[in-house]
Amino acid sequence: MNTLMRLTVANIRSLVRDRAALFWTFFFPVMFVLLFGVLFSGTGSSKVSVGFVDQDGTPTSAEVQKAFSSVSLLDLKVGTLDDEKAAMQHGDVSAVIVLPKGLQQTVVSAKSGQTASIAIQLYADPTKSQTTQVIQGIVVQIANGFNLQLANGSEIVKIEQLSLSSTNLSNVAYLVPSILAMALMQLGVFAAIPLVQQREKGILKRIGATPLPRWKLVASNILLRLMVAAVDGVLIIGIGIALFNVQVVGSVLAMAGLILLGAGAFLAIGFLLASFLKTEEQATGVVQVVQMPMMFLSGIFFSFDFMPGWLQSVARLLPLTYLGDALRQVMVNGTQVAPLGVDLAILTGWLVVCLAVAARTFRWE
Amino acid sequence: MTQSDGPVIRVSDLKKYYGDVKAVDGVSFEVARGEVFGMLGPNGAGKTTTIEVLEGLREPDSGTVTVFGMDVTRHAPSIKQRIGVQLQTVSLYPRLTVTELLDLFSSFYEHHLPTKQLIDAVDLGERSRARSMNLSGGQQQRLSIALALVNDPELIFLDEPTTGLDPQARRSLWDLVKGLQAKGKTVMLTTHYMEEAAELCDRVAILDHGHILEMGTVPELIGRRFKERAVFFDTTDKLPMDQLSKLAGVTRASQEDGQTLLYSRDVPGTIGSLLGLADGLGVEPHNLGIRQATLEDVFLDLTGRALRD
Repeated sequence: MNTLMRLTVANIRSLVRDRAALFWTFFFPVMFVLLFGVLFSGTGSSKVSVGFVDQDGTPTSAEVQKAFSSVSLLDLKVGTLDDEKAAMQHGDVSAVIVLPKGLQQTVVSAKSGQTASIAIQLYADPTKSQTTQVIQGIVVQIANGFNLQLANGSEIVKIEQLSLSSTNLSNVAYLVPSILAMALMQLGVFAAIPLVQQREKGILKRIGATPLPRWKLVASNILLRLMVAAVDGVLIIGIGIALFNVQVVGSVLAMAGLILLGAGAFLAIGFLLASFLKTEEQATGVVQVVQMPMMFLSGIFFSFDFMPGWLQSVARLLPLTYLGDALRQVMVNGTQVAPLGVDLAILTGWLVVCLAVAARTFRWE
Repeated sequence: MTQSDGPVIRVSDLKKYYGDVKAVDGVSFEVARGEVFGMLGPNGAGKTTTIEVLEGLREPDSGTVTVFGMDVTRHAPSIKQRIGVQLQTVSLYPRLTVTELLDLFSSFYEHHLPTKQLIDAVDLGERSRARSMNLSGGQQQRLSIALALVNDPELIFLDEPTTGLDPQARRSLWDLVKGLQAKGKTVMLTTHYMEEAAELCDRVAILDHGHILEMGTVPELIGRRFKERAVFFDTTDKLPMDQLSKLAGVTRASQEDGQTLLYSRDVPGTIGSLLGLADGLGVEPHNLGIRQATLEDVFLDLTGRALRD
C-alpha cells in the first residue's frame, strides 16, 4: 500500500472513530433531509397551484370556474389541457381540473327533468397524497354545491379521477440539492478544524520531520474529504429518492462531477481558513461565523426574492448560491439563478483563488 | 555522501532570531558517531530551536549546520531518511492504535523495521491495539520513541524525553536510551534534569539565553569549576553568611531552597570550625552532610540560578 493510501486510511479511521465528527459529517445532513422532507411534503398554508381547463366555454362553466377561484387555497392557472398537463409534469401545478365539453347542456337537460350526468376530470399525482387529498376535497365540495343548487341534490356533476405524476419542485425536490449543497459547504469549511487541531498538537510538525513530502499530506486530506462528499451525495440524494419521491433528471456523471467541484471549492475555503487560524477554539468559532450566514444568505433555503436588494447582491457573491443553483439545475431542472456555465466558472474561481492563497499562507506549525 | 569517520553533527556559529528574541545566538558544537550528547538548560535557553534546526524543521538564520556531512537546509530529505525524531509534547492521531501509527510512519521511509520488533523494543506489546489517546504518559512517550526508531536511524533526537514522567517511567526510558547507545546509535537529547544528563550523556553542553556556557563530559564540567566538595545543612538565620564564608577551607558559600552550601577545599577543617561557630552561638546545624559537587552546582555557579524552575 503506498504512503498516500495509508495516510488516507489513517484519516478515515480517525474520522470514523470520532463520534462527534461522524455526526456532523453524515447524520446532520441526513437529519436535515428527513426533517425538511417531512416539513415540506405537506401543503402547509401556502397556496396550491392548480391547472384549470375549460373545454365547455359556456356561462355555466364560467360559473364553476368562479367557484374554484373563490377558494383562497387554490391558485388557478387557466389554459388548454395539453399545456396544463405539461405544467403539472414540470411541477408548476400540483393538479389539473378539466371541465368537459357538454357541461352546460347536461345541466340544462337535468333541469328539464331528464336523467343526465357529466364528470369533471381531476388529474392528480397519487404519490403526493396530501396535496391530492386537499384538492380532491375542494373539487368534491364544489361539485356537491352545484348539484344541490342546480338539481336539488341529484348527482349531475360527478368527478372522474385521473392520475398523472408530477415533478413537485416547490418543496422536497427543491430542497434536496440545497441540503446537498449545504453538506458539501460544511464538509469543506469544517475541514479547517482538524487541520488547525493537527497543527496545534504538533502532528503536522512531527510528520514534517519525516521524509514524507508535504503534498502527500495535503492530498490525503483532500482525498478523505472528497470521499466524504461522495458518501454525503449518495446518502442525501438516496433518501430523497427513497422517501420523498425526488427524481434526478440530470446524469449521474454530471452530478458526481458537480459534487466533487463543489466539495473542492469549499475545501479550498477550509484550507484558507486553516492557514489564518491558530487555535482549535478559534477555528470552531470562525468556521461557524463563516458557514451559518452563508447557509442562510445564499438562497439555498430561502428564495432570493424575499431578500432586500443589497442582500441579494451579497448572495450573488457567495459560492454556495452557485453550488446550490448548479446542483438544482442538474438534478431537477428548476428555475435558475445563473446559467450552469456561470455556476461552474464561479465555483472554479473560488477553488483556484482560495487554494492559491492558502498554498502561500499555510503554516505547518 | 556520508563521512563515516567525521562527526555526525557539526554546528558552527548557528544563529536563529525571532524578531528581537535571540533564540540561538552563535552556537557551535560537534557530536561524534556513537556519542550521547546532551543539551542542558532552562526553558527558553535555545535547546529546542537548535535541535529543530538539526531535524530540518527550521532554517537557520546564519551559520553552518551539517548532519552526516550534509547541509541541513539543502539535503533535508536525505537526512530525514536517516534520523529519528521525538518532539516535545506531541500527541499523534489520538484515535489510531499503537500498531496503526507505527505502520503509518513506517510507510514514510524507504527502509523500516518490522512493527512487531519496534513494539517489543519499547515494551508496548500489551498495548499494541490500544488507541494512542488511551495510553499513559510513560507509554505515550515510549510510543513516541518507537516512532522515532521506525527507520532504524543512525542518529536519534530526543527533545525532553522524560519531562512529566514519574521516576519509574523515567528509569525505563533511560534504559531504552542506554540500549540505543549500546547498539552504536548516536543520540542527541535535551533535558532540564541534571540527573538525567549525568546518567545518560557522554558529553553535555549547558545552554542559557541562546549561548553555550560550558561543554564537556560531566566530570570535566564539575572538575573545571569545583575542586571543592560541598558541606550542606538546613539554612538558619542564626548562622550569618558573612561568618560562614570565612570558615576554614571555604571558598564560596551560598543559600538555595532552604539549604546552605559551603564549598570547601578542607572538609574536616570546615566542619570543625562550623561546629565551633554553631556551638558558640548555641545552635545545632540540622541535616548536616557532605557531597561532591554536581552538575546542578555547575549550573547554579554558571547562571546564578537553579535549573529546575
